[in-house]
Amino acid sequence: MAEINVMETIPEKMIIPLKQHNGDICEPLVSKGEVVKVGQKIGECPSDKCAAIHSSVCGEVVSVEESSHPSGNRINSVVIQPIEETECEDFTPFKDSGKEQLISAIKEAGIVENYGNPTHLVLNPPDCDIDTVLINATASEWVGHNYETPLEYASQMLDSLRLLMKAAGASRGVIVLRNDDKDSIDAFDGLDYEGKTIMVAPLLGKRRVDYYFNDQNTDIIVVSQDKIYGKNIFEYFTYNVTGRKVSFRCTPASAGVAICGVKSAKAIHDLVNTGMPYIETVVTVSGQVNNPQHLLVKIGTTFRDVIEACGGYSGEPAKLISNGVITGVAQYEEEVPVTKMTTSIIVQGKDEVRKDISKECIHCARCVDVCPVDLIPNRIAALANQGRFDECKQMHVENCIECGRCSSVCPSKIHIMQLLQYSEEAIAKAYEDLSEKESSNLKLGCACGSE
Amino acid sequence: MTLTISAPPHIKQDTTFRKITWIKYLALLPVSLVSVYFFGLHALALILAGIGMAVVTEVVIQKAFKKEVTVTNGHAPLIGLMVALLVPGEAPLWIPIVGAFFAVAIGKHAFGGIGSYIFNPVLVAWVFLQLAYWSAMHPASFPELGGISDLFLENGAGMLVGVSPIALVGGLYLILKRYVEWKVPLFYALTTLVLALLIGDKIGHVVTGAFIFGVLFLATDSPSSPVTKNGRIIYGILCGLLTVIYGHFANYVFAVFYGIFLANCVAAFIDNNTLPRSFGEESLLQRKYRRLVNKIPLEKLGVKIDD
Ligand code: SF4
Ligand code: SF4
Repeated sequence: MAEINVMETIPEKMIIPLKQHNGDICEPLVSKGEVVKVGQKIGECPSDKCAAIHSSVCGEVVSVEESSHPSGNRINSVVIQPIEETECEDFTPFKDSGKEQLISAIKEAGIVENYGNPTHLVLNPPDCDIDTVLINATASEWVGHNYETPLEYASQMLDSLRLLMKAAGASRGVIVLRNDDKDSIDAFDGLDYEGKTIMVAPLLGKRRVDYYFNDQNTDIIVVSQDKIYGKNIFEYFTYNVTGRKVSFRCTPASAGVAICGVKSAKAIHDLVNTGMPYIETVVTVSGQVNNPQHLLVKIGTTFRDVIEACGGYSGEPAKLISNGVITGVAQYEEEVPVTKMTTSIIVQGKDEVRKDISKECIHCARCVDVCPVDLIPNRIAALANQGRFDECKQMHVENCIECGRCSSVCPSKIHIMQLLQYSEEAIAKAYEDLSEKESSNLKLGCACGSE
Repeated sequence: MTLTISAPPHIKQDTTFRKITWIKYLALLPVSLVSVYFFGLHALALILAGIGMAVVTEVVIQKAFKKEVTVTNGHAPLIGLMVALLVPGEAPLWIPIVGAFFAVAIGKHAFGGIGSYIFNPVLVAWVFLQLAYWSAMHPASFPELGGISDLFLENGAGMLVGVSPIALVGGLYLILKRYVEWKVPLFYALTTLVLALLIGDKIGHVVTGAFIFGVLFLATDSPSSPVTKNGRIIYGILCGLLTVIYGHFANYVFAVFYGIFLANCVAAFIDNNTLPRSFGEESLLQRKYRRLVNKIPLEKLGVKIDD
């Protein structure tokens, strides 16, 4: 059974980017030469679309400068030279606080979903009401964070879900597990929570959560479904779990759904119970390293230090990838920090790196067979290549969850997923540019509580 | 340390078009050998003539139009080989030469090359030869499956491909390994057999080398068949229907080729009319179908599932 190791070594240098979320970049609160403590706030939010940044170590600020970021850009970052001592800020727990308090505490603690949206915006979106909170545990297992046993994971997750529901003002909560994640399913199954026995229910066919809410007559249920992954899964996930459709260019919030990850759920649990802000996360290190493992690291540790803590490379590395081999980003260098959005680090050796040239599509239909949302990727890719975006829209390109399976099976090595993203972006742009008047007969905008 | 940067996904299957094509040669090797054994060295000459002309044509055309020369992906020689397999054992040497030229020049490149042609080039050439040089293309006899031994060596074979139906099962391996798609051949074969039984045609006439070749190698030619899931089923059924209609009134050997050729015409039409709906919401029938398919323990049978 896998377990979590804690990274004990203190690196020589920590790089803490001032932007670890989607939205506005934070303003630095410290300058060169200052000494910071663990948990001290070093980045202040200029607006609401932002999450605060905290120092994860005790040390001296070496500089505040542009530095590499795992997204591939260069971002203003605080570089800290840590010292041995671990002097902490005084954390105050937030037990028994109300909705408003919780939301602002979450924002102040800088809690961010692993896909980048600040959690306080997910739970409390402007002008929308959330009635259902989903915790998506399909991508991570119980080893996804610092838990001792699956059982502890299960009961803490349920507590976290309560908190999330309270913060969102939602009346119902769902934890979605993965069908083949036996450890977690066993841990949840039969657990007593608030006087009720939890039963893990599979999502089958048209039986979605509404059915189980009525069936089990509770406000918290645990369900399981097949693994889905991708960068853009929220519409599909919402549809799969609740049966609600999210209209084009809208977020699940417009359908009254908030989707959280295991990591942010854990972070909120910690925040409420200890007051600790979001300064550490678990990354899964795999590939060509000597000791692949799950490692609890402080945010801001560089990939190089993480890999050293895992025993170093086991060969000549040729590719360094953050966040998964399917949708992740290949890195330029090792000197990039772990951020709140980093979930895994993968090292590939020389023989794993493929160099292919795209050829003509041979209509082999392999991409059609693997697409989880039933698109015709080859045709949409061809249309996107020719700039026929309106036709892409007719073929539901917006449903693409960007899982990359089509690109990975294509014998002609066409960059199908990128072409689809390209057309999706072009369509989104076109909608933004439409003036009010022209769009009068088009249904634009996201009405809350819509179907 | 140098790190490679590229767009995701960072793992890809190593199946390439080139690999798929070369594996088809392996699958066609047994039948070619048996045909040489059966028709003598003349058959070898026919095959080599077909392959040679296809290669020359492709190189000349791609050089003339200043395109990248792609013979090494094996597609053009494969066309040449398949054309040669479809001529009678006694045909003069120039028949596969003309055929291979026509297949590659008109059937493939005039329509825009790989991925753009709408008719299977092999069938384009075959139909052309059949119409233009009827007497040279008419096989001396039509095979009939009498007993088990005919499965291995068919004495009534007229064309090279008819010599040994069993030698063609290499095509099944392609399907099991998912190098070619399985819906079209399955539904094609089923439809043909069921319909032929219903209208009382002798199965011995239906199951010939030509039919198996058609099901496993011609109908599965991906550029000229539809891509949607339902489209491929409809296409398979249509191929079978057309084959039986022609075969009932004439013979089942030609029926296979004409049937697939005609079905090629509507492949794009089928595609356009079977585009899936948003999130692939299924109809009742589809749901039933999927339940059925999900029950087949493919993995246990050693079939590789793409994922
Ligand atoms: S089109 Fe490709 S990337 Fe998009 S959902 Fe389908 S398989 Fe995944
Ligand atoms: S997998 Fe590639 S070659 Fe095959 S149909 Fe899709 S895009 Fe075309």
